[in-house]
Amino acid sequence: MPMKGRFPIRRTLEYLQKGDLIFKNQVKIMTVNYNTSGELSEGARKFVFFNIPQIQYKNPWVQVVMFKNMTPSPFLKFYLNDGEQVLVDVEGKDHQRIMQHVKKILGKSEEVLHIEALAKMQESNPANFGPKKYCLKECICEVEGQVPCPGTTPLPKELTGKYRTQMAASQE
Amino acid sequence: MFQVAGGRALPVARLLAPRGGARVESVRGRKSRSDPPARSKEGRLKVPPPVDPVEMVVLKERFTEYQLIMRALRLEFKEEVLRKKYEEETGSLAEERARQEAQEHQILMAWNDAENLRMLKLRQLRVQKETEEAEHRKQEVILQREQEMQTFIQEKEQEILQLQEEAKNFITLENLDERIEAALDNPRNYNYAIDRDGRVVRRTVLN
Repeated sequence: MPMKGRFPIRRTLEYLQKGDLIFKNQVKIMTVNYNTSGELSEGARKFVFFNIPQIQYKNPWVQVVMFKNMTPSPFLKFYLNDGEQVLVDVEGKDHQRIMQHVKKILGKSEEVLHIEALAKMQESNPANFGPKKYCLKECICEVEGQVPCPGTTPLPKELTGKYRTQMAASQE
Repeated sequence: MFQVAGGRALPVARLLAPRGGARVESVRGRKSRSDPPARSKEGRLKVPPPVDPVEMVVLKERFTEYQLIMRALRLEFKEEVLRKKYEEETGSLAEERARQEAQEHQILMAWNDAENLRMLKLRQLRVQKETEEAEHRKQEVILQREQEMQTFIQEKEQEILQLQEEAKNFITLENLDERIEAALDNPRNYNYAIDRDGRVVRRTVLN
């Protein structure tokens, strides 16, 4: 069964996950104004067609709005947290160049992403035991190959503190 | 210990809440509230388990010590977590980072503005060129129209001249008589055949 629509590869998870533009935390709204006809708007159209799904997938909390045929020339506008508006003119530019430009001015850099990935890995450290929300396991008894939980199967007598103190007391 | 601002209390409280909330519902078993106790339990005196005072004292001491230590440890860890969070958000390092980020942001915005200016200049040039070309084309069209008019006029003049030339050979009332006489004097014989190559045949058909 073939995929539906033009360039259905845009709808595959692999393609979406390949997107490498992650906005900084201040960026809240992205607005794209472009035209449906005209040579100068071609790059913007391609950008909307190919790159916007990737951007939205990687930034689910950023609102992306598209406006068609409202202005003679195409542009992008970003609205940041502190009310600042960033205008990017994309007339005549190629969609890859637009992507690079936006990544440079408002995307998280490689180092920041690396640090965030490390922090995330630290959080999911298998050596940490605690609530399910923060750690992978709550008790060592949940790990395969370890002593099972005494709540489900009683421990052998020799491992209980009660028996050991009795033995120690009887020996003295 | 609670250096946290009011707004951030909720997620922190969730972080430090005791885990595993005691949620045990009392199960009544087979009998409901109004059922009388069994006959075998008649005269039963519920007595708590006997307590050895010496052991109790010792146990109490040990327990207080143990609980003190455990509580202290727990509070220590909670405080560490809170402090880390506070440092992360409003510490001196965080301020440095924020300042640096703001600086970088400004640099990037300046670069973006420069790019926009460049695009603006290009666009102005392009628009100017387009208007010039449009003017040029309009002029060309006007010229062409004029040229066409000129040729048309010339053609018409040619025709007029030709007509004037031919008018000299017309038959008018003055030279009507002369022309009739001339025509009668020179009879023209149209009794000939002509083929596609232009060869004329003047022979009559032999019967």
